[in-house]
Amino acid sequence: MAGRDRGLFLLRRFAGTVVVVALLSVGMFGLLYLAPGSVQQTLLGTRPATLETIAAIQARYHLDEPLPAQYLRWLGGVLHGDLGTSVRTGMPVADMIGQRLPLTLALVGYGALLALLVGVPLGVVGALRRGRAADRLVVTAGVVGLSAPPFAVGLLLLVVFAAGLGWFPVYGTGEGLADQAWHLTLPAVALAVGAVGMFVRFSRAALIRELDQDYVVFARARGLSGAAVIGYALRNSLVPILTAAGLIVTGMLAGTVLVEVTFALPGLGSLLVDSVTFKDVPAVQALGLLFTLLIVAVNLLVDIGYSVADPRVRFGGRTS
Amino acid sequence: MRGRFPAVARRRPQVAVAGALAVLLAVAVAAVLSPWLVPGATDQDLVLGITGPVPGHPLGTDDLGRDVLELLVAGARTAVPGALCVAAGSMLIGNLIGLPAGYFGGWADALAMRWADLMFSLPALLVAIVVAGVLGGGYGLAVAVLVVLFAPTDTRVVRGAVLEQRHRPYVEAALLKNLSAWRIMTRQIWPNIASVTLANGFLNFAYALVSLASLSFLGLGVPAGSPDWGRTLADNRAQLLVNPWAVVAPGLAIILTAAALNIVGDWLHERVDRRGRAR
Amino acid sequence: MKESTGTGATAEPAIRVEGIKVRQPSTGRTLLSEVSFEVAAGESVAIVGESGSGKSLTVRAMLGLLPQGLEATGQVRIAGERVDDDPRARRRQRGGVVSLLMQDPFTLLNPLRRAGRQIADGLPKGADAAVEVPRLLAEVGLPANVAGRYPFQLSGGMRQRIGLAAALAGGPRVLVADEPTTALDATTQREVLSLIRRVQRERDMAFVLITHDLRLAFSTCDRVMVMYAGRVMETGSAAAVRHEQFHPYTRALLAAEPPADRRLAVIPSVPGAVPAHDAAAGRCGFADRCSLAVPECRTGVPEPRPVRVSGNVREGRLSACLRAAELPAPPAPEPGVVSRPPVAAEPVLEVRDLRRWFAGSPHPALAGVSLTVAPGEVVGVVGESGSGKTTLARCVAGLERPDGGAILLGGADCSDYGRMGRAAVRQARRISQMIFQDPYSTLNPARTVGATLREALWADGRPAGPDDLARLLESVGLARDMAGMRPAGLSGGERQRVAIARAVAGEPRLLICDEPVSALDVSVQAQVLGLLAELRERLSMAMLFITHDLAVVRQIADRLYVLESGTCVETGLADRVLDAPEHPYTRTLLASVPDGSGDWLD
Repeated sequence: MAGRDRGLFLLRRFAGTVVVVALLSVGMFGLLYLAPGSVQQTLLGTRPATLETIAAIQARYHLDEPLPAQYLRWLGGVLHGDLGTSVRTGMPVADMIGQRLPLTLALVGYGALLALLVGVPLGVVGALRRGRAADRLVVTAGVVGLSAPPFAVGLLLLVVFAAGLGWFPVYGTGEGLADQAWHLTLPAVALAVGAVGMFVRFSRAALIRELDQDYVVFARARGLSGAAVIGYALRNSLVPILTAAGLIVTGMLAGTVLVEVTFALPGLGSLLVDSVTFKDVPAVQALGLLFTLLIVAVNLLVDIGYSVADPRVRFGGRTS
Repeated sequence: MRGRFPAVARRRPQVAVAGALAVLLAVAVAAVLSPWLVPGATDQDLVLGITGPVPGHPLGTDDLGRDVLELLVAGARTAVPGALCVAAGSMLIGNLIGLPAGYFGGWADALAMRWADLMFSLPALLVAIVVAGVLGGGYGLAVAVLVVLFAPTDTRVVRGAVLEQRHRPYVEAALLKNLSAWRIMTRQIWPNIASVTLANGFLNFAYALVSLASLSFLGLGVPAGSPDWGRTLADNRAQLLVNPWAVVAPGLAIILTAAALNIVGDWLHERVDRRGRAR
Repeated sequence: MKESTGTGATAEPAIRVEGIKVRQPSTGRTLLSEVSFEVAAGESVAIVGESGSGKSLTVRAMLGLLPQGLEATGQVRIAGERVDDDPRARRRQRGGVVSLLMQDPFTLLNPLRRAGRQIADGLPKGADAAVEVPRLLAEVGLPANVAGRYPFQLSGGMRQRIGLAAALAGGPRVLVADEPTTALDATTQREVLSLIRRVQRERDMAFVLITHDLRLAFSTCDRVMVMYAGRVMETGSAAAVRHEQFHPYTRALLAAEPPADRRLAVIPSVPGAVPAHDAAAGRCGFADRCSLAVPECRTGVPEPRPVRVSGNVREGRLSACLRAAELPAPPAPEPGVVSRPPVAAEPVLEVRDLRRWFAGSPHPALAGVSLTVAPGEVVGVVGESGSGKTTLARCVAGLERPDGGAILLGGADCSDYGRMGRAAVRQARRISQMIFQDPYSTLNPARTVGATLREALWADGRPAGPDDLARLLESVGLARDMAGMRPAGLSGGERQRVAIARAVAGEPRLLICDEPVSALDVSVQAQVLGLLAELRERLSMAMLFITHDLAVVRQIADRLYVLESGTCVETGLADRVLDAPEHPYTRTLLASVPDGSGDWLD
């Protein structure tokens, strides 16, 4: 019975996700019409407006058809892996993305791991030492961290650790796994600083809330060990921390744009900025859709996490 | 059970709050008075060019020979008003939609909330980069796009606060006195949620400041050469070996101002919470 | 301590507490002081007091479980070991020597852990959970398969039983229970209390019960200790204190508790409210509310001393009253009066076959309820949680839309406020008004009392000048200078008075009262009931009085409707229904009211 309920829960969430993606794909398609100037001009970019180029665009985009038909054609292409041709480079957008995706995923993964490993333990320390000096330090550092935009952190890190101390390279991606990790460390730290601040805030608040609950006092009163009592509270703060993790990781997808530009890394983020600056609408559409899918995937993972972490979700019970 | 034990006064690091208020005061003074304090902030000195700290230029100059310290002071003037507009604008929209949505409920509320959920799951900055980029960028556009992107969060906060009050007996008693919905919303409920929206406004202010600086850094905000913190960073990052201060100073300015706003916002939030608990 | 109880005077008591004092260093406030008592092995003691008496803080201090920011001083010995200065000894003792059962069954269990595991977590090292958990579950009257459930899958009563099993898992010699049944329905309360007492006797544990209910204390425990404003007022065996009180406060508390078996002409109430501990420093805390106070009561703090009446020491009795020995004999119990006969007149409220079924709920909240209220008549609606009584009140007030049936107010159809014209709605609102249960949220915290009441007068089309406001305040027993205050500065009773003033500002013909006194302390409850009775006379106002408390409803209602699961199971004159109940459910409800006798739980 539990399995069926969880299946239903996930099915509902999945259906919701499909609707969200569909809505956002309409938005992405709409970008073409949002750009200043005529659609034809946008798609031409800097190419000369010859009969052939215009005919090619006509053949591909069917601009004379009604909008819904155009959208469906575009969507059909996307579903078949045809993300269009970059106005800027003339290359298929899918190829450009394929080249750059691994770096961005590695960067976000590295950053998220760092943030999780640093942020949550700090938040727990803050909650357990509530009101003491250690807590104040953690809280203040957390606020400064989450206030710091990744590009500012990145440049400060470059000034100190690359230009000043010379511990890390200034630019480049490196070769081989270890070298790549070494090159990605400063960018990942720049990306993680804000996320650490968020993890500190959410995990500290969640754990403090749980430590104030009656069941914690009751557990202490009937002689459970300190570790067991903290275990109770930690287990219960998992759900809010999971919620925060979803928001933090999706936020990092935005942060990676800034970090990649700061460190001149050839990832999806710098591709997005280049495409946006060049008004390369097909590339922007494809990248927007890809980011949307990544965000949706993260949120879906969080939902699955909920149903594992909280039996009330699993059994469809009500939170009291 | 609520109120069984006396409310415990928990002390916050008041030093941090005092420091934050001092930073905000300095930034506010710079924002208002910079035309008089540093009238020549954008004057170029191409002969001098970029240099580290020298007499007369305590933080050195950038590659156009502009004084970094003066640029820093002038930068407050673009950093603050835009962010303030975003925070105030989204607060206004949030109240205008969130108050009736929370009070009346129904399908319009459900629709507004689905929309807010959707926007909430997307990182505002990412959407702002795409939309502002495709539309062509610019400071005013960046501010407008951020208002639209921030409003859903405010709407959710206001609606949530209204829902919390909506079924309290004092609201129902007002309903039984046949007071109009408008009067109940504005005179009964709003005074009890105003502090929540204000505290949220400070957090938005901080986030807007950082977002605007990010857009300017990417070239989607203020035009090149403007004395904006994010823009100065972008303009000088190639030169960080020659005069690191041209990068460090605006970077720290953004971080400190945003942190100060967040600290004050948190402090307000905590006061609201404590009052709520003491009831 | 000089007293001794039946259980072997030489044996070391299970608990000995001397001179406990609890302070809040950040504000410099003292919350209670000089609290001393002992509990013999196997003995049960109830600590009784209203809110602010310090009863919960006393045991929290004793157990070393004070909330953050509070500090305790004083000696505590548990099972012969001094623990107040030894946190390690405390930790060692928890579970195995002393255990605590808390108030709210909905929050005391870890929501994400199966019941059986939570019980097993408290077992001593080396115990076999597979054997012990089912045994403990059986001891608290639950089947073994409950072990696999999560708390959210269990009812309040079952959760409290799980809580008891978990508290017992370590095999404690002392069990402390802090209002363990206050959050439960009356019938469940009696079951759980009777279970706790049975277990306590079988295991021969010492037992400390914290409660606000003096009768419940008499019925459950061997001895009682009455606290007020952070001090001990009186101690003695349950039977003796029930028979004869040596402190005016104990008397007042007992008198203010309305009886379920008869209707009093007037419920004796004490004016004023419980002062803060510091506000009563250096004198008897009760002096300002005491009709027997003499000047000496205000010159020093009276210590609890053995009571000596005409030369004889009363065994086991302590009283903190200077005049304990010379208190006049308490007045004889008031004879009951009969409730008013029904009036033959066009009803002010008529409800026909009212139905409401909330989406997602397995049972209807209201499954066809009909009732009438005649002008000037007080009609009580009683039932436990889930009976539909509050839904009924909210439908009548127009705060909830019924699915079916009709509501007639003054003859006009008010079944659906959404479909009524503006004038009809205004008319209906002028006829009926409502007061609510929670005194903390019933007033707008952002507005002054004056602003709230002026708006009420204005909305009801009455003049709202300063004199009108003062008259309204005086009509509910409040001073006119209270107009400038905000709710945060008022006591629970004062807030409820303001709420009543707001409701009656336009002199409605019907006042809907949804549990108006159940969140108040007994002494304040008596005041508010008195005020309602007085207003009813003066304004010839009818009332629909919703409550779970049969003793309260007995004092005010003329006729009763008993609701169970959304249906009316019994109706009639209040005296008839309560003296000769016909339906088994009514009889169960009546049996669940504590009567103060020692055999109530048997």
